[in-house]
Amino acid sequence: MLMSCIKKAVPLLAGLWSLGALAGTYNLVIGEQPLEIDGQAKTAMTINGGIPGPTLRFKEGEDVTINVTNNLDVDSSIHWHGLLLPYTQDGVPGISYPGIRPGETFTYRFPIVQAGTYWYHSHSGFQEQEGVYGAIAIEPAKREPFRYDREYVVMLSDWSAETGEQIFSNLKGQSDYYNYSQQTLGGFLDDVKRNGFTATLRDRLDWGSMRMMPTDIADVSGYSFLVNGKSTDDNWTGLFEPGERVRLRFINGSAMTYFDVRIPGLKMTVVQADGNNVQPVSVDEFRIAVAETYDVIVQPKHERAFSVLAESVDRSGFARGTLAPRDGMKLALPDLRERPLLTMADMSMASMGGMDHGSMDHSAMGHASAQPQAMDHAAMGHAPAQPQAMDHAAMGHAPAQPQAMDHSAMGHAPAQPQAMDHSAMGHAPAQPQAMDHSTMAGMTETDADYASGSGLAPSAANGGKFLAYGDLKAMTPYADYRAPDREIELRLTGNMERYFWSINGTKFSDAEPIRLTYGERVRLRFVNDTMMMHPMHLHGMWQQLDKGNGRFNPLKHVVNVAPNTTLTVDVPVDALGEWAFHCHLMYHMASGMFRKVIVEPPATSAAQM
Amino acid sequence: MRFTTSIALALALATSAPLAIAAEGHGHAHHGSSPIGQPGTAAEATRTVEVTLYDMYYEPESIAVKSGETVRFVIKNSGELLHEFNIGTAAMHEKHQAQMQLMMDHGMLTPTGVNHEMAHMDHSAMPGMEGLAHQDPNSVLVEPGATVELAWTFPGDAQLEFACNMPGHYGAGMVGEITLD
Repeated sequence: MLMSCIKKAVPLLAGLWSLGALAGTYNLVIGEQPLEIDGQAKTAMTINGGIPGPTLRFKEGEDVTINVTNNLDVDSSIHWHGLLLPYTQDGVPGISYPGIRPGETFTYRFPIVQAGTYWYHSHSGFQEQEGVYGAIAIEPAKREPFRYDREYVVMLSDWSAETGEQIFSNLKGQSDYYNYSQQTLGGFLDDVKRNGFTATLRDRLDWGSMRMMPTDIADVSGYSFLVNGKSTDDNWTGLFEPGERVRLRFINGSAMTYFDVRIPGLKMTVVQADGNNVQPVSVDEFRIAVAETYDVIVQPKHERAFSVLAESVDRSGFARGTLAPRDGMKLALPDLRERPLLTMADMSMASMGGMDHGSMDHSAMGHASAQPQAMDHAAMGHAPAQPQAMDHAAMGHAPAQPQAMDHSAMGHAPAQPQAMDHSAMGHAPAQPQAMDHSTMAGMTETDADYASGSGLAPSAANGGKFLAYGDLKAMTPYADYRAPDREIELRLTGNMERYFWSINGTKFSDAEPIRLTYGERVRLRFVNDTMMMHPMHLHGMWQQLDKGNGRFNPLKHVVNVAPNTTLTVDVPVDALGEWAFHCHLMYHMASGMFRKVIVEPPATSAAQM
Repeated sequence: MRFTTSIALALALATSAPLAIAAEGHGHAHHGSSPIGQPGTAAEATRTVEVTLYDMYYEPESIAVKSGETVRFVIKNSGELLHEFNIGTAAMHEKHQAQMQLMMDHGMLTPTGVNHEMAHMDHSAMPGMEGLAHQDPNSVLVEPGATVELAWTFPGDAQLEFACNMPGHYGAGMVGEITLD
């Protein structure tokens, strides 16, 4: 049925295109070759012999033919991340098509119906981690609505000397395999000295009951971080002449790594997110979740080098490139900032297993033995200073309520309970109105994207403006903006210790597909019951991120859901077929944080077809 | 020339409202000594230049004028967002951007328009808002769909740009060169 619809459309489209005769053929070959990065040799997977693969430059309205040849000895695939296309061309083995067998070539054909920065990558095994990815830049049919003199793709990625299989098996075997910053006996004793034995022990026990550790910012460490395939030493360089405007197309092609991106000395004007133009916003730094894209324009006016710094969120390293008036210039890398520690604010009540959420299957989450009465909020210890002022209902579910909490004691700094007057805690009503949050370090709008007091809320290295999701406003209002027809709640769930990630407590292999009807507008309500960030990616259709900007809510293909927060997106269901929907952290996806979405025609039109 | 209510509104803003802001802070641009030129009248204009404002660019992207010439600009906003047409130097624009950011922060401006109620209040007494109530003829705010006129007499020599100082717009490239013969 679908195919007949597509076939009917072809002559019409062909008629239109004959006017411009815009059609291009592209050839990609997936292969293997030895590669050495940061002194470590490995047989990498490449596209057309390189990492990343070639940047595909399309034009909106073009009819593309892409021949993808698989020279690996295992099945492969290419998925066109963020592109709107017939689902049979989407490149997800087992959903869109069977994949590409060794030695075979699959020919993709689809029209380019959008503009902006996107990317492509393998959707098979862990091949993306091994190097099978590249950038897509689509020129709009009309002029670019911005002015710039030159542009560069800045593809960020994480590179491991291990194979994806090894990493996954290490995680499955021992989830904290890569957590080099675990709290130690020495740290325990330090905390005991500071906080007393009982409080420290309780704190550690609470973390233990969540199967998490405060240092669980990223699952995998030991990565080298790359800019366009180059290590910090190899220093990818983009040339400019002073005074020129330079557009940088940032793409996070990492398997697992979020980055905080800055260019010291330059303001960045963010003009596009996930391929869609946004009202320009000038920032000093932004966080790019795995698989997101951001386009920024900078105007370096001085004849000197500027470092493009993408610091991994776990502060284990930089991806570094350089903008410079000539080749060979580079600046010294700055010190890494302090590694953030998760706080109790990043822990939802659900993740502690202490509350009954009817919709959750706690036994499946490994919390069957959770003992609500074992939770001692006073012992939550370092973080929320005033348990009595906290709205527990809000902790797990509602948007954060900063006014009810004392941020100064939360957040980044190690808490110092001894500095607080506990005697007053039980009695004095909290006086939120007396607090001036604006003067607190790190109190920015970005906090709205994180649980109040979260250890993950970012702040700019220079104290300036850090991009928040609420800053992203579509440049053009969405024509069909309206209330959703229905809402689907998706709880992001998992168990770090067993390395098992899921949605609503059920992993992909055990789950029914999500069924949507063509033409409806569905609100997805993500509730993150885990203590990790999850970049949720829907194929084939946009997620309209709801941060209160109404018809200017931006269209995204990936949205970051922070620990212990709720995020809503509206999906205009406008693409028939079967689509993948998953956390874009590679090893979370592999372990089951994944759903198939089936978009069916409305019952009446199905009868007509 | 098509004049509608919205145009009249925009014109009113341009001529009488405090939202036409001195990029230099205190409206000194009026005086003959100003390096950026001075306001003219449509009657003295030797020619008319039509400028269209889109999200997020101007057409045309550069304008050539003669020294001492008075030009009548007819400025139409064909975008969905509020834009500015401001004649000044790059340094003036940069200063002005900070003021525009303040006006956004205080709700006087929104991405799509002017909060007329707030815009007519005297904000000059508010901390950090000094100067925002000053009228200046080198700048007009043009709401979506509106058309505004501005006559300007250009100086002998100056490094001038026309620019939109709505937060972020200049950085995205909503700026054009004025070349003086």
